[in-house]
Amino acid sequence: MTIQQVLFIIISLAVLGAALFVVTTRNLFRAALMMILTFFGVAGLFVLLEIGLFAVAQVLIYIGAISILVIFAVMLTRGMQGMVPRNAQAVAAAVTVAIVFAVLLLILGPLRVTIDLARWPVISLFAGNASPREVGGIAWTPANQPVPPMSETYIADFGRALVDLNQYLLPFLLIAFLVDVVLAGAIFIARQRRPAEVIEERRLRAEEDAEEAEAMRRAVPQPALPESAVASAADH
Amino acid sequence: MQNVLNGIPLWWYLVVSSALFCIGLYGTLARKNAIALLMGVELMLNAANINLLAFWRYLAPDTSGGLAFAAFVLVIAAAEAAVGLALVISVYRTTRSIDPEALDQMKL
Repeated sequence: MTIQQVLFIIISLAVLGAALFVVTTRNLFRAALMMILTFFGVAGLFVLLEIGLFAVAQVLIYIGAISILVIFAVMLTRGMQGMVPRNAQAVAAAVTVAIVFAVLLLILGPLRVTIDLARWPVISLFAGNASPREVGGIAWTPANQPVPPMSETYIADFGRALVDLNQYLLPFLLIAFLVDVVLAGAIFIARQRRPAEVIEERRLRAEEDAEEAEAMRRAVPQPALPESAVASAADH
Repeated sequence: MQNVLNGIPLWWYLVVSSALFCIGLYGTLARKNAIALLMGVELMLNAANINLLAFWRYLAPDTSGGLAFAAFVLVIAAAEAAVGLALVISVYRTTRSIDPEALDQMKL
């Protein structure tokens, strides 16, 4: 058991445990803090992969920017805390997710299963003469191939590839454009409304409420007033 | 076993990333709160990044394609988190609710 294996197991358990807390807790603020722990764990996994650039980028971007943004949003929408964490599809979602994980494990894990269709009771009628086949496992890994060493200058090579016309310049420029648009768009969407806009929004909402009340009144049949009640009201 | 780096085979990273992805998927499908939904999406994007970088390191560490892919995923995740949270704040200001199921004015 090398030290890297021990570290990997500890970091993975931290990542998955914190992620489970994030998706099951009722307290949004604690969920945000546990999400920060998840991101730290993922940065640790990147360090184990010997990719220092992405470990630092993960900490800077995910923890330094996205998590702070999430905490801002949690604080600005304080009125809706304390709701039941699960919605109506929770059980179906859990079952689906378990199936997805089982299928992924079969494909990505080292387990290889031999399926012989001829021995299955009903399917064998349609299988014909299909030979038993192996599924699962990572069939594509060439045997006995050691992991190539990483070059010392991988950051410089990556930087050069991002500005090289024949490599990744176009996606790089597109991403830069995307970030500009997103910056402007997010500010515009979440802007503080000016008083005139606030009055306009309130008027529109009042109109919508009035229309809805009118529609509901028309949908429910009005009960007819008894004659005696109308006559007595006219007398007094 | 093949594809072992410092004692860690590749499939360990893939199992961890698929588990994280499935946890994020459950968080996105089963939560009533729009911000918690976005947190699940961030977990899924992190899982994809782990997957990409593990494959890059174990199979082709002398190229830059895997790094570029992972970098773009990182940037897009940040951008999408910003826009999503801006939308949540805006919706909260007008409707005082962050339950995504309450936004059904456009339903047929």
